[in-house]
Amino acid sequence: MQSTETEFLVPTSVSEALESISKEDAIFLGGGTSTALLYKTRLIEPSRVVWLGNVGELKGIFASDGEVKIGSMTTAAEIAANRDIARLLPGVCTASGVIGNARVRAMATLGGALAHADPRQDMPPALIAVGAEVSVKSSLSTRRIPLAEFYEGFLETVLDPDELITEVTIPLVANRRSAYIRYTPTSEGDYPTVGAGSSVTFGSDGKIIEAASVVLCGVGSVPIISNQASQLLVGTTGDDAALRRAAEAVREIVEPQDDERGSAAYKREMASIFAFRSLKSCLGS
Amino acid sequence: MKINFSLNGKGTELDVDPMSLALDVIRGLSLTGTKEGCGVGVCGACTIMVNGAPVSSCICLVGTLVDKDVWTIEGLAEKMPELIDSFVENEGMQCGICTPGQIVAAASIDSAGVSTSEEIRKYMAGNLCRCTGYQTIVSAVEDHLAVN
Repeated sequence: MQSTETEFLVPTSVSEALESISKEDAIFLGGGTSTALLYKTRLIEPSRVVWLGNVGELKGIFASDGEVKIGSMTTAAEIAANRDIARLLPGVCTASGVIGNARVRAMATLGGALAHADPRQDMPPALIAVGAEVSVKSSLSTRRIPLAEFYEGFLETVLDPDELITEVTIPLVANRRSAYIRYTPTSEGDYPTVGAGSSVTFGSDGKIIEAASVVLCGVGSVPIISNQASQLLVGTTGDDAALRRAAEAVREIVEPQDDERGSAAYKREMASIFAFRSLKSCLGS
Repeated sequence: MKINFSLNGKGTELDVDPMSLALDVIRGLSLTGTKEGCGVGVCGACTIMVNGAPVSSCICLVGTLVDKDVWTIEGLAEKMPELIDSFVENEGMQCGICTPGQIVAAASIDSAGVSTSEEIRKYMAGNLCRCTGYQTIVSAVEDHLAVN
């Protein structure tokens, strides 16, 4: 056990939380599932912890005409059970419902998960594929960062130490379909070998693809975004040949490593296969 | 730090390091039905119920339990004897190490709106058992929820 007790603060508003983080090596705490593991192994030893569990303004899911907003302290279980998410963002619904196990989903928060930045997480590919943006506040500034530009490396983000994720905004786009699928070779609750989030947006005629996105987890130090796959899909009808070309492009861009979930070569193949299946699932077949 | 929460239906105040694990704190109160298995939130042996939802006490910092309604296997066994009976009648256990966690997870199911057999399997997938082959556990939960 450590000799001095960590200072544990329980603010009830965002402004109070931002004031509380001023101390060096202070951290924000969401549900605590990842932080507890890092703390237990002393990979982190903060002198002050600012727990956000009583900050009501960080909780909730709000769907309007043009967008969906999810508060950073909303849990994975709440996202998975939300009817608006299920109706408007099926990929996000699927991803939030397969994270870890029921116990992790009951505690783990969206903001905590994004800040933790483990590249095997299910949520980032599903969210990036539908253009999610992260709203971030510090006591001095406010900014909004596309989730696609949020990750810098394994457990590393563009966040400054005093910045707090307040919410995630997902734009709603007409004629867009989205999906998330994953493959876990070990237990159901494990991180995936590969997870594939995708979205396909048709033009007003409903036949030609106007925009597309393919994003993968588990096959790099950050979520892998295949711009080439998107380009190969735009202008097509989303036929199997086009999907295969996009899936081939994914094979070239991933950077997997050997581990107990598969060899790098195997993961590269699986990334391509699951990119294809994710797109196929988007198109409803 | 003083932490107030409800434990097995009783208001409780503890003076503990808020960064200690709920698992250690609970077992320190002689509530040793909660077991440590993997220690990383995967196996489910340490499952407790927090505000109606299952939680891995081995990765739960006790400071986050402030003002929460916490139940362990000891409290639930008194509160829900029919659930225990269902596990006994279906022989939903062998060595017993995972059993408290299985029962606490099962006790949390109502709140999650799980009603079909398939949903039960998915919900309980996070509680590992190396003995039973799972069918007897699933049967115990199905009987309890009157799902077939």
